[in-house]
Amino acid sequence: MRALVVDDEPLARRELRRLLGAIHGVDIVGEASNIDEARESIERLKPDVVFLDIQMPGGSGFDLLARLDRVPRVVFTTAYDQYAVKAFEVNALDYLLKPIEPERLAATLRKLQASPSSPGAVAAGAPLEQLFIRDGPRCWFVPLRDVSLFTAEGNYVRLLWGKERPLLGRSLAALEQKLDARRFFRASRSQIVNLDFIQGVELGEGGRLHLQLREGPEVEVSRRQARLFRGMMAVP
Amino acid sequence: MSLAGLALTHLLRAVIRRARWLALPAAALWVRVILATLLIALVSWLLARLLSQAVYGSDVAPITVAFYEKLTRAGQLRNQFIIQVIVYGAWLAIYLAFAMQRRRYQAELRQAQLGEALRGAELRLLKSQLNPHFLFNSLNGLRSLIADDPARARDAVTQLARVLRYSLAASEDDLVSLERELELVEDYLALESMRLAERLRIERDIEPAARAVRLPSMLLQTLVENAIKHGIAPLKPGGVLRISAKIVGYELVLQVVNPRPTDGSVAEGSGVGLKNATQRLHLLFAERARLRLDLADPSRAVAEVRVPA
Repeated sequence: MRALVVDDEPLARRELRRLLGAIHGVDIVGEASNIDEARESIERLKPDVVFLDIQMPGGSGFDLLARLDRVPRVVFTTAYDQYAVKAFEVNALDYLLKPIEPERLAATLRKLQASPSSPGAVAAGAPLEQLFIRDGPRCWFVPLRDVSLFTAEGNYVRLLWGKERPLLGRSLAALEQKLDARRFFRASRSQIVNLDFIQGVELGEGGRLHLQLREGPEVEVSRRQARLFRGMMAVP
Repeated sequence: MSLAGLALTHLLRAVIRRARWLALPAAALWVRVILATLLIALVSWLLARLLSQAVYGSDVAPITVAFYEKLTRAGQLRNQFIIQVIVYGAWLAIYLAFAMQRRRYQAELRQAQLGEALRGAELRLLKSQLNPHFLFNSLNGLRSLIADDPARARDAVTQLARVLRYSLAASEDDLVSLERELELVEDYLALESMRLAERLRIERDIEPAARAVRLPSMLLQTLVENAIKHGIAPLKPGGVLRISAKIVGYELVLQVVNPRPTDGSVAEGSGVGLKNATQRLHLLFAERARLRLDLADPSRAVAEVRVPA
């Protein structure tokens, strides 16, 4: 398992290095002391896991994740931060409290090794499986297959994900390129819909289509896209 | 007649409030209630007699006469008086019951507010004394030093122990010499330097005469901690923390100057530390002390304290 250590404090990096060194099967491929270095290292080294400090100069660990296209598996390390614990109210991720206990670290790594291969290790061209979103004080790892609808809001995108409506700081066009084309369909200039969530299709005026989403709103498909949709779904 | 009753009860209410009857012990209250009832009933009874005299030419109204036909005139007058006593007695009892209920409710409310303010003060004190982020990060750095540099690790343990002891002993009204406070600040800065390494650079300019001046304990410490937390730690290259103390006229002027991020990447703190420090200065020195945080320069923060020398 290839690990990257991100922390602004040299002593903290050395300590984690020492702790990880004692664990069999972990290879530390790099270190970074701020989020710019970390971003570069993640894109270049493609680690299986990133040990990520939260408070760092020039941007927090959350800022780093929000800027990454492909989010690797992350274990947060923090000295004391209720914020970090609260941030993951939706889907808790592992975090280690500093000073890190060797037993806790070993347990975390066992869990990582037991889980299926990390999303960071997937080939570069493969579609996105999950997104990290930071919206105000809250953070989420969002599994994209559970998102029913993406709606453009200016240069941002509002996700419809169960009861949550987080705002993603990217454009709809940029997001579309990274999505799995077999699952997600561009219904109009402002919306992308998850085909798995479509419950019913109705014909509208002038060749438009109306898609009824499960537990969601109705989505209008523009005329041009409706032709494409018919072809894909074999709707007459 | 009912108008007269209204006027009398209003008058009585004003007397109850003015004389703070509700604050009286039970026995004293009962004596007053009985006397007031008798007095007010008497006044009302006399008024009623005067009124019927004017209207009916007799001091007993004809309706009442019909009602008490069998009684003598004296008996009728006595009965009228008893009715007055009952009516005013009942009014007074109901009024006092309501007023007491309201008074008890307000007292409970005040008690709750007071308790909350007290707890808030205690919490602020605790928070100003121990910063868990600093504590756990120091312990983490220490764990690393134990392997890398045991001699420095031993020093760091001593420094951490001194900082903890000092901050635990400090209380709201403690005054210490600047000399003593500076010793604590030096221990604290040594620990922060262990973590921040070359990112934290320190300049000191302390006039010898200033060292004896007494100021609230943990005051300079709070300013230095803020300077690192909101200024130097969030800056990638770090920066210079400057502490200066000099006597100007009859005042000690204490300054902590630090660079700070201009991009607003760091959220403004809640200001609990500074607010608490300002309150303590005011409690101890009233108008003779001041604390000012100057953020006019977007890339610099200047905290200044003036206390009587």
